Amino acid sequence: MVIDKRLAELRDRISLLSPAEARARLAAGELMIDVREPGELAQGMPAGARALSRNELELQIDELAPPEVPVMLICASGPRSLLAADALQRMGYSRVTVIEGGVERWKREGLPCTRPEHVDADTAERYARQMNLPEFGIEAQAKLADSRVLLVGAGGLGSPAALYLAAAGVGTLGLVDDDRVERSNLHRQVLHRDDGIGTPKTDSARATLEALNPKVEVRTHQVRLTSENVESIFSDYRIIVDGSDNFPTRYLVNDACIKLGLPNVYGAVQRFEGRVSVFAAGGRPCYRCLFSEPPEAGMAPSCSEAGVLGVVPGVIGLLQALEVIKLATGVGDPLIGRLLLFDARSTRMRELSLGPDPGCRYCADGRDFPGYVDYAEFCSGATSEDLETHD
Amino acid sequence: MIKIELPDALRPLAGGVQEIAVEASSVAEALEELGRRYPEARLRILTRGGQIRPHVNLFVRERDIRSGDGLETELHDGDSLLVVPSVAGG
Repeated sequence: MVIDKRLAELRDRISLLSPAEARARLAAGELMIDVREPGELAQGMPAGARALSRNELELQIDELAPPEVPVMLICASGPRSLLAADALQRMGYSRVTVIEGGVERWKREGLPCTRPEHVDADTAERYARQMNLPEFGIEAQAKLADSRVLLVGAGGLGSPAALYLAAAGVGTLGLVDDDRVERSNLHRQVLHRDDGIGTPKTDSARATLEALNPKVEVRTHQVRLTSENVESIFSDYRIIVDGSDNFPTRYLVNDACIKLGLPNVYGAVQRFEGRVSVFAAGGRPCYRCLFSEPPEAGMAPSCSEAGVLGVVPGVIGLLQALEVIKLATGVGDPLIGRLLLFDARSTRMRELSLGPDPGCRYCADGRDFPGYVDYAEFCSGATSEDLETHD
Repeated sequence: MIKIELPDALRPLAGGVQEIAVEASSVAEALEELGRRYPEARLRILTRGGQIRPHVNLFVRERDIRSGDGLETELHDGDSLLVVPSVAGG
């Protein structure tokens, strides 16, 4: 491998120090720079070292030391600090050394470490693998911890979404559901267990989520969402996840999100198919741009009539969790203006482009919020014959 | 040849198939041909008056035809017409 040859050359040329030697020099006032990514530092960095990640090193080294000053470099196990040392030498830093075995050996030898002040030991260990991602790091983890996410429905979509959002470290996770656990739920609603049959889904969900991650604040709302209670519930949250199982709730969630300026992470499933999208705060497009009216009676069977393969809401609920993480942290590109369809039969995903409906009553430019409607009537009254008169 | 791609929910009304090949130069013609073979499937997409039902979206080349020429959207050999109705399951 080219890199192996290159690292061997650097090892021959660059002075290496054992961690114990490096610690002694550090104590004598020599500069040690930890070149790992911010997320990696959460698990501990050598006490007294300064943090300057590999990709910022050349740009910011000037602020820490002039070229004539000795500099020790440390990374996770050695290769990055060798490459970093080579880069600094090219810039005129002639007294650069590398700590052999990196932080891994430093820790193995029981030398002292510190963590960034705002990251506690549990956080550092629990989220280590995602904070290690340079694009994620401590900053995104902190944003996740500050996020407040409400799941509408603790069922097929809400279950996987809640599990992964709790595991990922969402700070406050709310659940709205007024149902009780039934045996027929359990093939897909993986928050709940057989011994919870008959208990409120919110209680069952809370127990599962708190056992998974005690750091998450789980809030439960064992009510049916209505025009009367929707604003008082939604206003405590920053992101709404629509995992409901009926049209009246879906239109209510959409309308309240438009009114309150909240993003709506939409998912829906039936039989072998699912879809997911993100309707941004303020819409354009919103759920009503996509489906201006619900199906008339008899045109769309419910999940209990049509059935659903258990893993389908699993896939879609996880995609909803992914979108929440992106919205909460700013990492990645959310599915705004895009509709992702999943076909379990062919294991195929396809992406469609969604545009705003310029005539949308709820989110079109310059429209005032038209108010909530009687959602049960809106979604159940029309028959095929009624619709014909509207043609 | 145009391919009409039906959602799971409409397949029972179209002989159980997912894709139907038709000769058509517009979305309206494609749905007319669908209706000749499977009238009930067409009725789930269009009203008797021939309008797209509000809970159904039709996509050609991954774009919603409502944002373009609607039912008059032109189809070319090899195009797909994808039918995406609203579903509520969660």
